[in-house]
Amino acid sequence: MRVRAALSSALLLAAGSSLGAGLSVSVTDLKGMPLEDAAVYLEPIAGRAPPLRARGIEIEQKSRKFTQLMTVVQVGQAIAFPNNDTVRHHVYSLSQAKLFELKLYSGVPEAPVVFDKAGTVIVGCNIHDKMVAYIRIVDTPWFGKTDVAGRVTIDGFPDGQYRLRTWHHAQPNLDQAAEQAVTARGDSAAVAVRLDMKGAAK
Amino acid sequence: MKFRIQSLQTRIVVLFMALLLLVQVAGFLAIRGSIDEHARKSVNEQLLVGERVFGRLMEQNAGKLAQGARILAADYGFRAAVASDDRGTIASALSNHGERIGATVSLFYTADRVLKGSSVENGKFGEALAERRRVDGLIDQAARDGWAAGPSLVGRQLYQLVVVPVRAPVLIGWVLMGFAVDRAMADDMRALSRLDLSFLVNAGDGGHRVLASSLGASAAQALMAARGLPRPGIPGEIAIDGEQYGTLVAPLLSSESDQVVTVLQRSISEAVAPFAQLQVTLMLLTLAGLLISVVGSVLTARRITRPMTALAESARRMGAGEYDLPIAVDGDQEIGNLARAFNHMREGIAEREGQIRRLAYWDKLTGLPNRDLFLDRMRDAIASARANGGSCSVLMMDLDRFKHVNDVLGHAFGDALLQEVARRLEGALVRRTDAVARFGGDEFAVLLPDQDAPQARAIVERVRQALEHPMQVQRQTIDMSAGIGLATFPEHADNADLLLARAEIAMYAAKQRRAGALVYDPSFDQKSQDTLSMLSELRHAVEKDELVLYFQPKLSFSDGAMMGVETLVRWVHPQRGFVPPGDFIPFAEHTGFIADITQWVMQKSIEQAAAWRREGMSLSIAVNLSTRDLMDQELPRRFAEMLARHDVKASSFCLEITESAIMDDPQRALATLDRLHAMEFKLSIDDFGTGYSSLAYLKRLPVHELKIDRSFVSGMETDRDDATIVRSTIDLGHNMGMRVVAEGVENEAVWHLLAAAGCDIGQGYFMSKPIPAAQLADWLAKWRPPSLVHGTAPVAEVRHLYAVS
Repeated sequence: MRVRAALSSALLLAAGSSLGAGLSVSVTDLKGMPLEDAAVYLEPIAGRAPPLRARGIEIEQKSRKFTQLMTVVQVGQAIAFPNNDTVRHHVYSLSQAKLFELKLYSGVPEAPVVFDKAGTVIVGCNIHDKMVAYIRIVDTPWFGKTDVAGRVTIDGFPDGQYRLRTWHHAQPNLDQAAEQAVTARGDSAAVAVRLDMKGAAK
Repeated sequence: MKFRIQSLQTRIVVLFMALLLLVQVAGFLAIRGSIDEHARKSVNEQLLVGERVFGRLMEQNAGKLAQGARILAADYGFRAAVASDDRGTIASALSNHGERIGATVSLFYTADRVLKGSSVENGKFGEALAERRRVDGLIDQAARDGWAAGPSLVGRQLYQLVVVPVRAPVLIGWVLMGFAVDRAMADDMRALSRLDLSFLVNAGDGGHRVLASSLGASAAQALMAARGLPRPGIPGEIAIDGEQYGTLVAPLLSSESDQVVTVLQRSISEAVAPFAQLQVTLMLLTLAGLLISVVGSVLTARRITRPMTALAESARRMGAGEYDLPIAVDGDQEIGNLARAFNHMREGIAEREGQIRRLAYWDKLTGLPNRDLFLDRMRDAIASARANGGSCSVLMMDLDRFKHVNDVLGHAFGDALLQEVARRLEGALVRRTDAVARFGGDEFAVLLPDQDAPQARAIVERVRQALEHPMQVQRQTIDMSAGIGLATFPEHADNADLLLARAEIAMYAAKQRRAGALVYDPSFDQKSQDTLSMLSELRHAVEKDELVLYFQPKLSFSDGAMMGVETLVRWVHPQRGFVPPGDFIPFAEHTGFIADITQWVMQKSIEQAAAWRREGMSLSIAVNLSTRDLMDQELPRRFAEMLARHDVKASSFCLEITESAIMDDPQRALATLDRLHAMEFKLSIDDFGTGYSSLAYLKRLPVHELKIDRSFVSGMETDRDDATIVRSTIDLGHNMGMRVVAEGVENEAVWHLLAAAGCDIGQGYFMSKPIPAAQLADWLAKWRPPSLVHGTAPVAEVRHLYAVS
């Protein structure tokens, strides 16, 4: 697969520093505009990340929309797609990370969908083309999603060497995530990530 | 005439035709021009509309394609196949959906624009797309607008391409569908808009290559070869295969290597074709109009020319002298007026011709035929007599003394007299065929058809008797007599003119001889021939001095002295000897030769006067003047010249003029006499008492002398009336201050009577006959007047005689 040259040029402000309490990440585009709904996660460079501690996650459909545009989950997490709309939906994904299809239904489907593979899953509705939801499945429990101001704080990770990855659904190549190395030393740190959104499809 | 009228008709028709044709041709040309202009304009409009229609057609095609592509792109299965990279499924889905909408080709590109599927076996189609960049451009456009469409060249085939995105739900690829733009599409366009559509791509040599066209193969070929296509967007015209096409070029595709244009065309002749039918209709209408107006103008022309032909015919008849047929008057204003005027003219001409005919052939005064008509009838009568072997007589009559009657009693009386004569002549004729005519003056003629001389003579006798009774005219009674001549065909002449001439000769002979009536005799002709020869002899006599002057003394009664002489001309003819004056003087007067004789006499008298003057004699010389002399205005001047030449005084000449000479034309006579009187000529009235002279005239005449006519003088010895007339005349003369001369004193008794009556001068054989000048002296020597004593007695006798009466 052809991978475009990494556009991310995330800056490591405190390279080699130790993370204690948490990491504050601010994501902007190259012009400095804050980017909302960016997935930010830390992957340990050495060793494996701890296994999933399952939670109940839902991506609700309401008003012919997915209530969440962007969802970040750890591999193996199941997501329920309750239909709280008056119409029925046909939720599907053709993404390689998770192919699924919830044929016309209303209410809560029998079983939630388990996303057991890292990657990106784009969820749509076969009936309502405009409905879209992005799911970033990461192989780490330390992740977060930027707010309107493009900020997110990740915590709970032990000190160590990490790859800080930043992914945004609007970035040109959805298969890539910007990455940079960070070292957690038990104290709080702040990192600014600038994503090249050039050529982004909206 | 007829031809001209026909040509007028033709001219009218031709004029109408020409005008109509002119209008029609002008209209036709104007309409044709307008049609042409309109057609071209409408062709241009059609082309511009066609361009928009074509654009819309392409859009619709694109829309249809896009729709199909979108359906494909939205198909869950297709997307699932894409997601699973199931190429077989992708290709079959592309084929399936492409077929559904009739797309020629359907392709799938990944979001990364990698060709992942094709509806055609040969997957190279996508790569064969003229330029990958074209596809990229379309995809870029689709990424921007949600879809894109546009033409593209693939090899030698033009396609319309459409690109739509495939989303799941975000972009996962692109579906591209192509629609061959080929002949079918051009035909479709033609069916829609009646415009020919061609797609041209630029060829390397600056020419064009036809990609597809609705034109026929040969036209397309010709279009390919055509140079000078109109500039894009502006309708123009080009000729293809000899036919004009309204042409509009619109750019379709412009890439680095290829310039594709659409060419919309409309055949001008095809556009004009519907109007051609209109023109044919118009032409038929024109022809029909022409035909109708030919008929109309022929009828109109006839309406004009028919009466004109009638008028011309009528004029021709009038020319031939037929006036009795009136022209049928038409109701039409102008022509009717003309016809009425013509009729009026015809009647006028007829009336005037009648008048002229009457004037030409009828005598106005008496209502009798004139000479011409008489001659006509005479010719007819002679022709008929000749045919029957019969005879025909002509009577000619001339009234005696008519001129005098006219002079004295006036022309009105004369005219009335002629009318009376005419009435009597007609009354004398019994047969209807006998005809009287008046020849003018007092000449009448009577035609007696089928009458030989003896029969005619009986009629002549009746005519004479008719005239014998005294005539009552204007309360006056008058005796008329006439000279009548008679000639008969065929004895006297064999044609009308000669017959009439002979009757005339007989008439003159009768008058001359006072014979009343005479039948023509060839000897009369001899006489008239004698007259002719006499004239030439007389002329000769004057020239050769064959005439001799004789003199008769005029003597005073008081003392017997010679007061003068009267000259008398004598003619001694070399062959005939002595010719009496009565034989040639009237003739000379009649022919006018008398003027020459007077001239000669005057000349000789003047010479004689001069001679006597030389001898110591002073005599008054009397010379006779004729009527003609008085009419001659030059006479006084000539006399003056002659007198001057011999230095003789006019006062020694006495000019004697007869009463009738004066009365012929008193005005002119008086003028001449006045001039002669002024020249101091003595003037004398000759033959006084025989004419009808009015005393009123006499009073005005500048005369010195009255000469009593010899008829009274010679009769006074025996006739008491004559004696009374002589005495009265003497008294009259004296009372008017004139000298009185008595002619014809033939014996002593008369001498004494005259002397006693107080007559001044006497002249006569008693004293001397006319003698040559040479004997005058001898006579004078011998002359003894009668004794005065002896002469008194007779006077008393005469007085006694008068007393008795």
